[in-house]
Amino acid sequence: MTVWDDLVGQDRVIAQLRSAAVGARGVLAGEESSGGMTHAWLFTGPPGSGRATAARAFAAALQCVSPDLSLGGEPGCGHCDGCHTSLTGTHADVDVVSTELLSIGVKETRDLVRRAALSPAGGRWQVIVLEDADRLTEGAGNVLLKAIEEPAPRTVWMLCAPSVEDALPTIRSRCRHVALRTPPVAAVADMLMRRDGIDPEMASYAARATGGNIDRARRLATDEQARSRRAEVLGLPLQLGDIGSCMAAAQRLVDAAAADAKEITAELDARETEELRNALGANGPGGRLPSGTAGVVKELENRQKKRATRTQRDCLDLALVDLTAFYRDVLTVQLGAPVPLDNEQVRPSVDRVARAGTPEDTLRRIEAILACREAIDANVAPLLAVEAMALTLRAG
Amino acid sequence: MKFRVERDVLADAVAWTARSLPARPAVPVLAGLLLEADGGTLTLSSFDYEVSARVGIEAEVEDEGRILVSGRLLADICRSLPNRPVEVSTDGAKVAVVCGSARFTLPTLPVEDYPALPEMPTAAGSVAGDVFAAAVAQVAIAAGRDDTLPMLTGVRIEIEGDTVTLAATDRYRLAVRTFLWKPDQAGLSSIALVPAKTLNDTAKALTNGDSIQIALAGDKLGEGMIGFEGAGRRTTTRLLEGEFPKYRALFPDGAASVATVETAPFVDAVKRVSLVAERNTPVRLTFSDGRLVLEAGSGDEAQASEALDASLTGDEISIAFNPAFLLDGLSAIDSPVAQLSFTTSTKPAVMTGKPDMDAEATDEYRYLIMPVRLSG
Repeated sequence: MTVWDDLVGQDRVIAQLRSAAVGARGVLAGEESSGGMTHAWLFTGPPGSGRATAARAFAAALQCVSPDLSLGGEPGCGHCDGCHTSLTGTHADVDVVSTELLSIGVKETRDLVRRAALSPAGGRWQVIVLEDADRLTEGAGNVLLKAIEEPAPRTVWMLCAPSVEDALPTIRSRCRHVALRTPPVAAVADMLMRRDGIDPEMASYAARATGGNIDRARRLATDEQARSRRAEVLGLPLQLGDIGSCMAAAQRLVDAAAADAKEITAELDARETEELRNALGANGPGGRLPSGTAGVVKELENRQKKRATRTQRDCLDLALVDLTAFYRDVLTVQLGAPVPLDNEQVRPSVDRVARAGTPEDTLRRIEAILACREAIDANVAPLLAVEAMALTLRAG
Repeated sequence: MKFRVERDVLADAVAWTARSLPARPAVPVLAGLLLEADGGTLTLSSFDYEVSARVGIEAEVEDEGRILVSGRLLADICRSLPNRPVEVSTDGAKVAVVCGSARFTLPTLPVEDYPALPEMPTAAGSVAGDVFAAAVAQVAIAAGRDDTLPMLTGVRIEIEGDTVTLAATDRYRLAVRTFLWKPDQAGLSSIALVPAKTLNDTAKALTNGDSIQIALAGDKLGEGMIGFEGAGRRTTTRLLEGEFPKYRALFPDGAASVATVETAPFVDAVKRVSLVAERNTPVRLTFSDGRLVLEAGSGDEAQASEALDASLTGDEISIAFNPAFLLDGLSAIDSPVAQLSFTTSTKPAVMTGKPDMDAEATDEYRYLIMPVRLSG
């Protein structure tokens, strides 16, 4: 096992980060050349390609203290104390910053600037992973500029964003760019089989259906309900007979997304709450929270509530992406393009919709879905936006 | 793991270690207290990513081991135990604390997820605990509190042979304190920038020992760690990186006038007069022979003035200060009499303390304060 195991289909990136981690060891040993190591990195890649996973793996490799290193081993063994605590998120020098909110403001970033000025606790590197660098407000980005350009000698910034354009130009120009690609379907399927023991047929279906988004593929492959909700979403194009059924279909789509979000957050919330209560001593004799700690639990609950809101939005967006993939398949059939369908399992419906319209209709429908996503992003009530989309899909 | 230990010894150690547990743990395991039984020693540690605390106590160790338990809960339990030997033993994922007829079973936390504690640096020397705590308190008062320039939130510690100099500034005032210590090796020279808040807390937490050891890591980059040890209790703190302003040059070479005022009446007068000073407006001090006049407020607004006895050598001077910064300095000099030296009303003034009106001022502690420019 190594820290890179969770990165799928990113061989080029892994090679780059590996050599940087080796270079970083050289820097620690006092070598002049940095050997591909630098103080600011920008990880970009489509959702589910593993931006944050790559950043965490790199952080772990920088903190690796494996005894094999002195025997010529590569940093990033995956089981030494440094790697383990980095990957579980408890290492003192690996700070993973993510947000449940829609943006990261100036106040939060000021604190980051202060932390970035500290020296590492373990005498190696202090790594700050900013998972949602695309959510930095402009003001917050400006606060970070100085700290990213000239951090303390042992501080390393790792920013993650979907694409280079999502980072402020001034931040972009201060970082070394690491571009992750959409993992190939075969690689995702292979990982599902290898790591989660999923049977080949299901693995390849899940990998294809989710277009290389690893987290979603795993979910789809392991969760029966997630599959049935997806089927619900893909059934929508055939349920747009009259205006009434459009409304009903829109409602079902929004409900499915909400149910999806609820399941994801409920699982996570329960685990987090349990861990925190345990650590605070609430699960000891008496089962009460020690005095003065109720606030911490309350804070966690607030954070979870905010996350639930965001997850719901994200799930709806993903459902709309699935719907776009369906119409992409329709277009593929209409144009007779020799590429595999994303949604092979609903081929009959794809064919039916393809016969009923022209490629121009299909393109208009894809436009309508995009418009709906943008509307939701601009805070239009989700149900309204989806209803409007359903009506446009029906008209073609 | 299994060990027996005296109740008071355990309760003290747990209470002290639990003090540095983070109030808002960034990850749940940080709310845990690490117990390590090894040989004849039980080591208790806590860590909040910036400060680590560690204490070793004697214990009868039957089985060696390493566990993590909720620090708050353990502290609450130890505080209320009867005065009998305490036996602690693990049973699977649970740990049992038995004392007399009282028995507690608590869950353990995943010890493999607990972050590695920083190592204690080695190069060291010692100083009396109360001297150190007082010096830190005097200097930390001038450290910056905003995060725009992180290095200003720190206290700079300079060690040169047997002299230690502490300095802090927030751009508007600068506090410098020197004291003597006993370095372990002659000719030791080292520099560190320690976050002011944690330094202040640490210094206070270690005052119970007679003397405390200070340990600084070498000059190598990235080994920024300072350690303190007193009566078997050790803490480490992460250092700030960054260039501290060259503060020595800020002290003026000579003084055009030197005023001496009794501190207590001066403090009272500043507090009274500044009642009418709105936020960010100054109090004006006018020194003439034998007299100091304080004024605040202007124009149509409320005004106040008060006169005090003061002695002055040199030119008469009128100068204005932010009242909060002035009061901070007057309380930090911690002396019955305050001496202020001025060059001009637009240049910084230097405040020092002395035991009585006729004594010679000491340079042990100096508080430099920027005046507020008066318009018109």
